[in-house]
Order: sequence, then C-alpha cells, then structure tokens
Amino acid sequence: MEGWVIAIIKVVFIWVWVLLIATVMTWVERRGAAMMQDRLGPNRAGPFGLFQPLADGIKLFTKEEVLPKKAHKVLWNLGPLLFALPAFSAYAVVPFGDKIILGGKEIILQVSDVNIGFLYVLAIGSLAVYGIVLGGWGSNNKFSILGGLRSTAQLISYEVPLGLALLAVVFVYGSFSLRDIALAQQGTFLGFLPNWGVFKQPLGFILYMVAIYAEANRVPFDLPEAESEIVAGYHTEYGSMELGLYLFGEYVNLVTLSTLVVVLYFGAWHIPYIDISKFLGPVSWGIVSFLILYLKVAFFLWLFVWVRWTIPRFRYDQVMGLGWKALIPLALFNLFITALFIQLSA
Amino acid sequence: MARPVVKKKYTLGERIYLLEILKGMALTWKHFVFNVKASFRPGPHTVPTCWQYPEDRTREISPVYRGLHMLCLDEKGREKCIACGTCAKTCPAHCITVKKGKRKEGEEDKYAGKMYCASFDIDLLHCIFCGLCQEACPKEAIVLGREFELAQYTREECHLDKQKLLANYRKAKEEGKLRPPRKAVPVVPAPPKPEVKGASSKATEVKKGQVEVKKATKKAKNAEKAKSGD
Ligand code: SF4
Ligand code: SF4
Repeated sequence: MEGWVIAIIKVVFIWVWVLLIATVMTWVERRGAAMMQDRLGPNRAGPFGLFQPLADGIKLFTKEEVLPKKAHKVLWNLGPLLFALPAFSAYAVVPFGDKIILGGKEIILQVSDVNIGFLYVLAIGSLAVYGIVLGGWGSNNKFSILGGLRSTAQLISYEVPLGLALLAVVFVYGSFSLRDIALAQQGTFLGFLPNWGVFKQPLGFILYMVAIYAEANRVPFDLPEAESEIVAGYHTEYGSMELGLYLFGEYVNLVTLSTLVVVLYFGAWHIPYIDISKFLGPVSWGIVSFLILYLKVAFFLWLFVWVRWTIPRFRYDQVMGLGWKALIPLALFNLFITALFIQLSA
Repeated sequence: MARPVVKKKYTLGERIYLLEILKGMALTWKHFVFNVKASFRPGPHTVPTCWQYPEDRTREISPVYRGLHMLCLDEKGREKCIACGTCAKTCPAHCITVKKGKRKEGEEDKYAGKMYCASFDIDLLHCIFCGLCQEACPKEAIVLGREFELAQYTREECHLDKQKLLANYRKAKEEGKLRPPRKAVPVVPAPPKPEVKGASSKATEVKKGQVEVKKATKKAKNAEKAKSGD
C-alpha cells in the first residue's frame, strides 16, 4: 500500500515538474530567439513576459476545435494523443535524482527502476512518430501528408545511429538500467577524467546529440514541420488544444531527451572530483542531487534553443544522406572500437 | 540575368560541419549577450533595433513619409487650394471629392486663388496613401503629413472633410511637423538643335557600315560552318 502511494506521488510530482519545465521552455525559446535576432520577444504579459505561456495556454484552450471536412475522424483525434502521451510516459524510467530517505524509508528518485529502462525509452521514443504520421495522414491535407512522410523518412535515418550510439553506452556500463548507468558515473578513470559517459564515449556522444535533434524534430532536422516550406507540416490543419498537445509534446520531448543526455553522458547528479553526498544529510542530498541534475538539463535545453536559432534546416535528402552515409558507419565504427577496447581490457 | 553558380570546394573541416556550427553559435551568443545587456539599460528604448512603440515614440519619421492628409495655408494664412480638381482626377482610389466656390469681393484674405473649394472630402478608408494627389496639386495645397496613428472606431471618423483637413494643417504647424518645402527642380537648358542636312547624311553612313559588318560576320560564320562540317 505504502509503495503505491509513493509511486503515485512520484508520478504526479514528475508530471507537474516536466509540465512546468516545458511551459517555461516556451518562454525561454521565444525570448532567447528574440535576443539572438536582435529583437525583444514577448515582454508584455507579466514581468519579462513570463506569463506569456499562460496566455498562450488560455488562448489554445478557448479556441474552437475545427475538424476538416474530409479528415479521418479517428486518426485525426488519435494523432496528437499518440504524440503527447509517449513524450510523457518516457519519463517513467528516467531518473530525476539519486535517492532520498524519508522516515527511515529509502525512496529512489525515479518513477520505476526497470532493468530494461533503456529499451523502454528507445521504444517509446520512436512511438511518437506514429502521432505525426497519423495526424498528417488523418488531416487529408497535402502539406500534412508531406510532413508525416518526411517524419517517417527521417525516422529510418536517425533511429539506427541513435540505437547504435546508445548500445555502445550499454557496452561500457554493462547495464540496461538507467539508474545503474547513472550510479556508475561517479569517480574518475585514468586518474583524472571524470567517469562520465562523454569522456568514455566522445564519438558516441556526438552521434547521439545529432540524432536527438532529429528525434525531437528540432532545427536543423525539423523537416516534418518546416514552416517555410510546407506551412506547418503535420499540424497544418490542427487548432485549439490539439495543436497545443503537439506543441507541448515537443517541449516535453525536449526535456526527456535532455535528461537522457545528462543521465547517460554527463554524469547525472554527479559533480566531478567531489562526492557531495558525503557532506549532506539523506534528505538534503536527495534535493541537491535533483537540482544538480536539472541544472545540467537546463544547459542542454538551452542548447536546443541556441542551435535552433543558429543554423538553417537541412534539406530532405541531406538528412537521409547524413543518417545513412555518415552517422550509421560512424556509429558502427564506434561500437566496434568500444567492443574491442572492452575485450582487450577485460 | 541569372548569376552563374560557383561550386565551392569545401575543406574537410567545413564538410564535417560541426566546427562551423560552433562558429555560428559563437556569433549568435555574441548577439544574445549584447541584447540581454542592452535590454537591462534604463529607459524605454533598450535594444537598438526595437522601439517599444506605444511608450517609446522617439523613432524618427522620414520627412517624406506619407501620412494623414492636410490642406495647407499660404504664408498669409489663406487657403492655397483653387478647387481645380486635379487631385480628385489623379486619385487612383477615387476617394477625393472637391466642390468649388467662387471667391467674392472682400474674401481675398481668406482664399489665395479666384476659386476656392467649398467642400473637400477624402474617404480615408479608400485612400491608399500613394501621394499622387500631392504630386498633382499645382498649388501644393494638399499634402500628406507625418501623422500615422489613423485607427478609428467608426467609419465617420475616417471621413476627412475640409475643416478636419485644415485642422490637420494647424496641428502639424503647431507641432513643427510640417514637411520641408519642395526643392526647386533645376531647369535644364534645351540642347541646341542639330543641323538637319548633316545629321541625315551621317545617319545613312552609319547604316551602311552596319550592313557591311553584318555581311562580314555572316561570311565568317559560313566559313566556320564549313570547317566544322569537314
Ligand atoms: S494619397 Fe492617393 S489614394 Fe489617397 S487621396 Fe491622395 S491620390 Fe487618392
Ligand atoms: S488640392 Fe490642389 S489639386 Fe486639389 S483641387 Fe485644390 S488646388 Fe487643385
């Protein structure tokens, strides 16, 4: 019984927290973009325009829902749900802190520590594409179908290197559990380098970074949306909260992916060279580990924004070329080297 | 005229692309830091390229901006318009209506010309602010000012009659927003007429020459063709 209560509290907490980050992200994105482009951005609603996401939310909720005449009713309604739900549910196995001891009971800061959490994340992550494809197909609109098609084409070119890059991480840490991997990144190796994934897998890290930009449909791989070519891609026909689900799902996806990068490659809640958990009580360490993790996540979220306003979009065939001709061979090479190294050092 | 496409050879560093992205990110970061710093400056006009419009009205308006119309008075305070109707004819949107009246004895201090406009109406909802009325007016009576806040709540308010037009002029004069007077167009002296006889003979000579040249090129082309045929 007690386990259930704790689990539900954890679920609600992380759900609200991720929603909060995603909300703030919409503001950060718009103001950050404005600042990079010598503008000011939304600065009217509240101090610094901080209430802008709220205003946007109210607007989206109160808008009329319009179903295009020839749209496929079921697929149309399924699309946004299929896009937003996986984005949320992927967080079920992602750790958001070390552990906290409350009332003599040890609570892991993770909704559930599944021993195949890794595969779960990969599977759920690629499910979101169905939301895009079905929404695009169900809208019965040229631009939407094009967006959906592009999304599939993009999927087959980035999912393979993504999986291969992650496989190398599994090789290194010998576990499919995200918590195990996070815990294994404490301390140093070779005497001076922190035991982080990015130092053990530099090439894999770069490949993974490139691939997650494609997975999140972000510039430079935002082909399914491509607002300058195909209006708004898969969500051209959507409005009101269905569009809101798409937009929100995208930001939740960003949070999930950034957390994954931190957990896999940037030492989760560890700080190099110091073990803070020794100096802190069990409760405060739980909170501090949570904060450290999300400080790192904030950087990667900012990186998404930063990159978006720096480089232009890749062309359709260029993305596929990049995926098949550059990323996959490099990922295989990385896997080979990692396996060889492990074999030799064992 | 299509420009020829020059394909650049990329170095390895450029082809890997990541380094170039980092360079680009350094640039955007510079802009970001600059603008964030600028936005914390005191005063309404912070980021150099942005005017926070309703609060910050310091932005300069070009002297040739075409805003709200006005009917001008001359330096003696008389109405310049002579109700010739040129503006109404020129207007591509047909939004000007002028009714003329004859100046009576004793009204010389009111109207500059023998005729004056009894009524002068402009429908701003039709006007496209092309400024042709101003260009066409022989007396520089109708002028487009620099007033640009033209939104109104009713259609009636968008209708300019003579009183409003004159009021616009007075307001602009008070605020010192009158357009600087037009520069006089320099008169170019007419070129001297060439002598008729000599000119005609020259022209025929040139023509002959052209024909000869054409023949020559034709010959050369034929020769080339024959060569390539072999
Ligand atoms: S600005 Fe153009 S459209 Fe407007 S009244 Fe003058 S001529 Fe007509
Ligand atoms: S404003 Fe100028 S063009 Fe129009 S009627 Fe008067 S004098 Fe003629």
